[in-house]
Amino acid sequence: MADSVRSNSVLGWLADPLASTADAAQRAYRFTADRRSYLAPLAIGVALLLVSLVGFATDASQFYFSYFIGWISCLTIAVGALFFLFFNHLTKASWSVVVRRVNESIVWAFPLLFVLGIPIVFGMHDLYHWTHEELYVVGGPEYDPILAGKRGYLNTPFWIARVVVYFALWTFLSYKLYADSVRSDVEGGEGLPAKLRKTSAWGLPLTAVATAFASYDLLMSTDPHWFSTIFGVYFFIGGILAAVSLMVVLLASFQRISGMLDGVVTTEHYHDLGKYMFGFTVFWAYIAFSQYMLIWYAGIPEETIFYKHRLMHGWEWHSAFLVLFHFIVPFLVLLPRFTKRSLPTLSFMAVWLIGMHWFDIHWIAAPVHDAHHTFHWLDLTLGLGLFLVFAGTIVYRLTRHSLVPEKDPYLGDSLHFENV
Amino acid sequence: MVSRHTEKKTPLAWYIAFGLASSMAALLLLSLAYQVWNGVGVWGNNQPVAWGWPIVNFVFWVGIGHAGTLISAILFLFRQKWRTSINRAAEAMTLFAVMCALIFPTFHVGRVWVIYWTLPIPNQMEMWPQFKSPLLWDVFAVSSYFIVSLVFWYVGLIPDLATIRDRSSTWLRRKVTGFFSLGWTGANRHWRNYEKAYLLLAGLATPLVLSVHSVVSFDFAVSVLPGWHTTIFPPYFVAGAIFSGFAMVVTLMVIARKVYGLENVITLDVLEKMNIIILVTGTIVGFAYITEFFMAWYSQVEYEQYAFINRAFGPYAWAYWIMMTCNLISPQLFWFKKLRRSIPVMFALSIVVNIGMWFERFVITITSLHRDFLPSSWGYFEPTLTDVTTFIGSFGLFFTLFLLFLRFVPMVAMAEVKGVMPEADPHYYDEGDGHTAESKVPYIQPAQEDNGRNEAGETRGGK
Repeated sequence: MADSVRSNSVLGWLADPLASTADAAQRAYRFTADRRSYLAPLAIGVALLLVSLVGFATDASQFYFSYFIGWISCLTIAVGALFFLFFNHLTKASWSVVVRRVNESIVWAFPLLFVLGIPIVFGMHDLYHWTHEELYVVGGPEYDPILAGKRGYLNTPFWIARVVVYFALWTFLSYKLYADSVRSDVEGGEGLPAKLRKTSAWGLPLTAVATAFASYDLLMSTDPHWFSTIFGVYFFIGGILAAVSLMVVLLASFQRISGMLDGVVTTEHYHDLGKYMFGFTVFWAYIAFSQYMLIWYAGIPEETIFYKHRLMHGWEWHSAFLVLFHFIVPFLVLLPRFTKRSLPTLSFMAVWLIGMHWFDIHWIAAPVHDAHHTFHWLDLTLGLGLFLVFAGTIVYRLTRHSLVPEKDPYLGDSLHFENV
Repeated sequence: MVSRHTEKKTPLAWYIAFGLASSMAALLLLSLAYQVWNGVGVWGNNQPVAWGWPIVNFVFWVGIGHAGTLISAILFLFRQKWRTSINRAAEAMTLFAVMCALIFPTFHVGRVWVIYWTLPIPNQMEMWPQFKSPLLWDVFAVSSYFIVSLVFWYVGLIPDLATIRDRSSTWLRRKVTGFFSLGWTGANRHWRNYEKAYLLLAGLATPLVLSVHSVVSFDFAVSVLPGWHTTIFPPYFVAGAIFSGFAMVVTLMVIARKVYGLENVITLDVLEKMNIIILVTGTIVGFAYITEFFMAWYSQVEYEQYAFINRAFGPYAWAYWIMMTCNLISPQLFWFKKLRRSIPVMFALSIVVNIGMWFERFVITITSLHRDFLPSSWGYFEPTLTDVTTFIGSFGLFFTLFLLFLRFVPMVAMAEVKGVMPEADPHYYDEGDGHTAESKVPYIQPAQEDNGRNEAGETRGGK
């Protein structure tokens, strides 16, 4: 799989826009594991996706929903990683320099995700109720005045155009941040922080707007009658949480499996990542609770219906599960200092929270498809398949370059970083 | 340098400012007495607009207060060392702003003497407050916020009060500061516990500060009113609170550093960082405005759509456009480094921001109320003189307290600033004997400064 990616230049750009600089990397920062580290996830991921095609033949609608949920989960992780990178550049955070390359590798996922998003366009009729033409026939039995009123915004050509614009912006920004940083390994990092900070400064507000509107277009409009102003925040907070968790998983497995970055990424850095996981767990709960409480409290029918569907026919268990395992349990586990500094607990929670992120997206999208709660086998194969392809290419990118931005002027500070 | 301001002879300017502020505070007392005696009808509130200036001012003052906790708690958790020079003043500002805020929920009720009914106290009527009301949550949120802020501020003050105690030359001064510094000796064991307590308080204050303004936003957002009922209010109000609070800190610090000669402590870099936070939160607030507008259209609910058209083009369009100009456009000037670092620009902008944020609360409260579902109950709100004097009076109270603070309490956290000075780094003196590698600054005996009242001190203090 990977060899064919490398031989094809267009596909190669999807995985990594830059030529490998791994040979120039210092010994301590080289990726030393063998090719199985990315071939295995890619192969399993592709196999799962191929198996899922059987499901496509039997239940296309279910296939699209399962695919969509998996794809949105990966997309939000990439967007979250982009935000995390912006924050660290803008605040001149020096502690995070040693974990930054992993962050940057997650960020260069947009071209691949764009290609993987193409099936969504074919499934739009199933995913998005507002694409149905009969809704707009005035006087027809299906005529829907509310959706007709939104048609200026919710129509297929404009929707596709917007999604393309979002991806173009994300890709451009991640290219700037990724390529500038990787190039500095070879070319020197004299003006690097200032350059990255500048990109982040104008990139952050634009990305925030693009991400909020992407959340309305991609996810909120699956339930086109419903609206919530906080939804954009909900969408990207969950993504940041999962992105930080993914960084922990990748770093921890590199260290555990082949001892890479030993003595470079230390307990102190994991402690800080753990604090972010804790902080964003609480932030997610704050946003999720605010949205729920305000809608429940006012009980305005056109809004409440969203939660009503998610509190009946078995979905109430799903909702309760989210409260308990996306908030209460991670909150209690990640609260003490020692659990954030212990790699087994922290990496367990990281895997857990990535799973919970998918569970959260599933909770939003799946009730649109099926009012009765079920987990289809396609949910698992497509969700895991897409995630493994996504994660496999991240690892593949990491094999091609130094594992830390070697010539970043703040690398020394980061290596000596200690929590006080 | 910091202690001196509490020790030197009080300058005349302070007395003038204090006289002015306390007469404004007296105006507050008069207005409140007048209002309690005559009834809330002395305000401009009417039937559709039953929440007028008092609520607007309440949210405004609570918002101002949030920057203090943000600076002292959140920036502490993020290990931002630049916070040390401003955190004491910002926390004091929090306390005084919350005091000003608490006046309004207390006095905007029709019968202030039964306000204790809002507390869950066992009583002979076996009556309890309604725990589903966000106004009751306000009572809990703001009062616990005040208490925690006070404790946090006081814990921070203990080592500094001990410094004042040790420097005091009069018996009374030594006794008073000795009492409040609780026998602090600065022992290693003290410091270890102190740091732990400070971290815990910072950790507790952070969710508190976010929840307080969220609860304040629930007052509006839980209702069914178009323009009030929207889910983005909690984070958006918090962002607005940080925005206005930081603007207030900038306003006060620009004056204080000039008057008290603290330019080397509250440096331009610190002010620049605050301006960046103003820029960031201002942009978040601006983004929330756009989101609300978009979602009002997207919802296809005619009341929701009308509420926003009414804001932009109705009878209160002037207020809306003042808000938009001050909050959405003016902070964008801080993109330019030159403007961000210019004292006159930031001073002017920080005032503009607070005007804008006052109007934000005005727009949210009043434009949503004055025209809602039934056109037969549309009204127009006009403030009365009592509305205005109460608001001006609240500034009087704020500045009275703030001036007292400047006079009697060390306005910069000395112990913390010392801890982040380059000299506090254990590796600072590694190079050369008492010389840093780069700057070649000669090593100065700290003891010299500690003897107090040296010549440099006198001249600087005389400003």
